[in-house]
Amino acid sequence: MKIFRSLSKRYIIFTPILLVIVVAQVETYSQLTTSGTFGAAIRLSIPILLAGLGGLYSEKTGVVNIGLEGMMIMGTWFGAWGGFTFGAWQGVFIGMLGGALFGLIHAIATVSFQVDHIVSGVAINILAAGVARFLNVIAYQDVAFASSTASPRIQGDIGKFTMPFLAGGKIGERETSNFIGSIEDLDIILISDFAGLLLGFLSNISYLTLFALALVPVSILVLWFTPLGLQMRSVGEYPAGSESLGVNVYLMKYIGVTISGALSGLAGSYLVVAGTGTYLEGQTGGRGFIGLASMLFGNYKPFGILMGSGLFGFADALQLRSPQAVHGLLIIISIFLLVLTFKSFFEKKYKASFASFIFSAAFLIWFLNSTSIPNQFVYFTPHITTLIVLSFANQRIKLPEKIGVPYKKGEIN
Amino acid sequence: MTRMKSKWLILFMVFSLFLVACGGGSDDAVEDVAVEEPAETLDAPATTAAPAEPEEDPMGICLVLDIGGLGDLSFNDLAYAGYEKAVADFGMKGTFLEPEGGGENRGELLELCAEAGNDLIIGNGFLFDASMNEVAPNYPDLNFAITDGVAEPGNVRGMLFNHAEGSFLAGVAAALKTKTNNVGFLGGVDFPLIHEFEQGFLAGVAAINPDIVVQIGYASVAPDFSGFNDTVKGKEIALAQYEAGADIIYHAAGGTGTGMFQAAKEVSESTGSKVWGIGVDFDQYYQVGNALPELQEYILSSMVKAVDVSIYNAAKQTMEGTFTGGANVDNLATGGIYLSYSGGYIDDIKDQIDSYKEKIMSGEIVPPSARP
Repeated sequence: MKIFRSLSKRYIIFTPILLVIVVAQVETYSQLTTSGTFGAAIRLSIPILLAGLGGLYSEKTGVVNIGLEGMMIMGTWFGAWGGFTFGAWQGVFIGMLGGALFGLIHAIATVSFQVDHIVSGVAINILAAGVARFLNVIAYQDVAFASSTASPRIQGDIGKFTMPFLAGGKIGERETSNFIGSIEDLDIILISDFAGLLLGFLSNISYLTLFALALVPVSILVLWFTPLGLQMRSVGEYPAGSESLGVNVYLMKYIGVTISGALSGLAGSYLVVAGTGTYLEGQTGGRGFIGLASMLFGNYKPFGILMGSGLFGFADALQLRSPQAVHGLLIIISIFLLVLTFKSFFEKKYKASFASFIFSAAFLIWFLNSTSIPNQFVYFTPHITTLIVLSFANQRIKLPEKIGVPYKKGEIN
Repeated sequence: MTRMKSKWLILFMVFSLFLVACGGGSDDAVEDVAVEEPAETLDAPATTAAPAEPEEDPMGICLVLDIGGLGDLSFNDLAYAGYEKAVADFGMKGTFLEPEGGGENRGELLELCAEAGNDLIIGNGFLFDASMNEVAPNYPDLNFAITDGVAEPGNVRGMLFNHAEGSFLAGVAAALKTKTNNVGFLGGVDFPLIHEFEQGFLAGVAAINPDIVVQIGYASVAPDFSGFNDTVKGKEIALAQYEAGADIIYHAAGGTGTGMFQAAKEVSESTGSKVWGIGVDFDQYYQVGNALPELQEYILSSMVKAVDVSIYNAAKQTMEGTFTGGANVDNLATGGIYLSYSGGYIDDIKDQIDSYKEKIMSGEIVPPSARP
């Protein structure tokens, strides 16, 4: 009894992870915890993570940014153009500039001219798609292997990093041992699974990925531990009060939205530079919107965004790599809901407890009566998983107080 | 209302086309052999410069590409190659158009082509069937053609291909070349057209050795057609299949397949043992290999679907006045489908592949084209 009561929300998060490891012991579901799956999960989640962090900077200053997708499109185009003209890293930088430019447009519209944030955001998305096509036609008129919807390949590429000694990376030309890899191959319960996770992070990982992951602690630092971050957040909570204390509200909003654009641009150029090295129309595929969702999922916290995008990326990697393993998710969801049933029961939330129990039973029955999941469902695994976790995690999302509210200088609101 | 709007739009576009065409040369330039296009604009179609017949109006050919557009290193590029050849050889006046990202304006583009008076109008892709049914009956004097699909009107030719036959040979090649007895299939979108490739490939592999494991993966499921243009997903699926032991993967996924070749390179380099990809539609040894030279050595072969030849033939017949509507199936026997030997990686098994080719052409083997 006491155990359940003391199970705070914090620890509930770890139950699915443990469940995944247990289920992964079954041969059919072994793809759940291989280093390959984790590696793919990281590659798939980074663009979402970056877009989510971008959304965070904007929304913390009180500006709703539904234009993330459009800024990301600019990131893909400018990233490819910069990469083609100058080189891979320069491409990343130029991609960020392209995104920042569209962030600035959003800022001018919403902050200086008090346009409705949603209207401006939607306009940005539409504008970006058209501008990208237009620029592509103009920029690559006489270039081989380019067309109105695709760019030529960028020059060079971003290096990849493999940890020496632990994951078999090279020092100079000398091979080193792959210590973690050998542990993964031993197939010891728990230990090998964690080794797989670790190996996914340590081997064959793009430097750009490491840079993106480093932005999570950096964002925490900037937003919560610097005077600038405090000013930015205060502007989102209570602009009139901030202004009375001498904060330049407009400037803070401009900074937030422009950083937001730059990060979305980075997300876009990641798709190009760390991916196939070419721009393709429609390449972003709605990842900007998923980033926005991961920001809500993460409750406006960088680490939460990392978790949200990671979950989405993991589910996406799983459905792409092993549709069989997706079947194993059913039993994981079922047991997780059962745990929630008990938790709600001891918290005397009987309705919630009952609902969880019903769903838990439904998933269990589904699991027992099938050997695979229909293809149509498999492709939507990432979306469904995120939805389920969101609906049952019943956390309260703490929005910035004055989000989406236009603010005029000197106004008392 | 929308009909009215699109009429106005078309009128505007045709007018701008007219202006653009006029802008090129002076009035008395009867001797001008080439009509130069000054610039490609977004809305007005690009007219490729073509040698014009001085004595009469040249025949017009109009190609409307499908999602993915030019530069997909596959299906659309191939169609464009055939179109370009026809324009050059027959002195036709060529126009090619690309639909918007989602491809919603297919019907409008076809109508635009028809109103501009083109004699042959090609919709490159099965998704054009509905628009063809709407547009073609209004222009009974013009010839229409649709790739990979059929349409009801009598003046529409359905340019079909027997994908299962070619995929069967790809399966034979993969089965003979695999060292791990494990091969893969990467489909773009999970729906019946791609199942033809999948089933043909499975049958081809099984004909050589039924014990070979075939891993199957798809990038998206209909009606989501993003799977034909998602290199990121193509790469992840291929990586998973290579890691699970496959050493040859055959793709039928348009632009997504580029991701597969990239995965082949990555896996080959990191494990030290070479893995391969088999291309589709184009002879991708040259197609992908020229644009991305670092991938060329991983392209074992390609199941070529000569869309270019079909389009060229349709243009030729339009010129000669022998064009007919209705379904027109190309297969191994007509030469519209074949396995490429570029790179010379499968030259050593040519005899065996040829013997299966004979059996298919004689009807001894009929590769399945639908899932059981």
